[in-house]
Amino acid sequence: MKNKYIFGGVIVVVFLGMMIYLFTKSNIQYESDFGKVMSTERTIKATGSWVKEKSYEINKSERTFVFYMKDATGHEMKVIYAGTIPNNFEAAKSIVVTGQYKNGNFHAKDILTKCPSKYQDKQSAAASS
Amino acid sequence: MSAYALFKKDLASELRMRYAINSLIMFIVVTISVILFSIGNEKISDFLSGGLFWVVIFFSAMSGLSRAFVSEEERGTTLTLQLIASPTTIFSGKLFFNLILVFAMNIVVALLYSALFDAFVLKNLPLFLYAFVLGNIGIAIASTLIASIIAKASSKGTLYPVLSFPILLPLMLTLIDLTKQAMDGTTFETSYIELAVLGCYDVVMIAASFLLFDFIWKD
Repeated sequence: MKNKYIFGGVIVVVFLGMMIYLFTKSNIQYESDFGKVMSTERTIKATGSWVKEKSYEINKSERTFVFYMKDATGHEMKVIYAGTIPNNFEAAKSIVVTGQYKNGNFHAKDILTKCPSKYQDKQSAAASS
Repeated sequence: MSAYALFKKDLASELRMRYAINSLIMFIVVTISVILFSIGNEKISDFLSGGLFWVVIFFSAMSGLSRAFVSEEERGTTLTLQLIASPTTIFSGKLFFNLILVFAMNIVVALLYSALFDAFVLKNLPLFLYAFVLGNIGIAIASTLIASIIAKASSKGTLYPVLSFPILLPLMLTLIDLTKQAMDGTTFETSYIELAVLGCYDVVMIAASFLLFDFIWKD
């Protein structure tokens, strides 16, 4: 009778641990390699930076915002976002877009811009730039 | 007394009274037609229809499966059962009966749903079927355990969904996610994590319920 509880308890704890671990993994992943982003159709958070040479385009009739992004290895992709241009877009150091890659374009549901902080003191700002 | 004998007894009394079957059928028909009317000519997105599918299943499970132990309590047969069989046997019998009920119910819901909703298109059917089977097993186990907890409570109707919700929440979230992926047509490699979560959930629930049922049944 005692053995049953110990055995069952071990099973519950082990599988519960596994489940929690897998549950945290199954959330949307960050991906900084666009080669991998382009190979799946999963919803993904792609991090990279805006290609300034190619500029951006705001289509007012379709309400889309289109720009190009590149990653550290130089892959480029076209990002289409159904919405307006986010604040500080031009000043952003890096951009995180959430969405999926489909038919040669990345359809973003959300854009996060990472800007250089205003609140650094002068020394560290100088050091980081 | 074996678990199979208990299952046979439950099946016979269910076929005579048709309490669970009737309430399930009524619930399924009413909810699906309400969804149909409220959508009207509107075109809903695939993901929304996948989510609504599991909403229908969750609430019909809530309305039909609470009877497993309440019926024993109402007829005053709980003490007899406690005398003639061990808790494990009783739980196995009840669980087996609920499994049959859940599978029958969900197959009906799935067939009706895919016949009536144009947006409910599954590109990766095998993936959906795996999720469906694992999800049904999870729902059956969790609902049997909760049914045994509420059998002695005074406000059974409200307590059942309230207790089930937190226990079934991880299951439902994963199932909705998997349905979405099956509609997208993703392969098994990309969604094996969600399937593994479902498998782990079922194992945890069955181990925990066999352990805990002894204590629930004794008091």
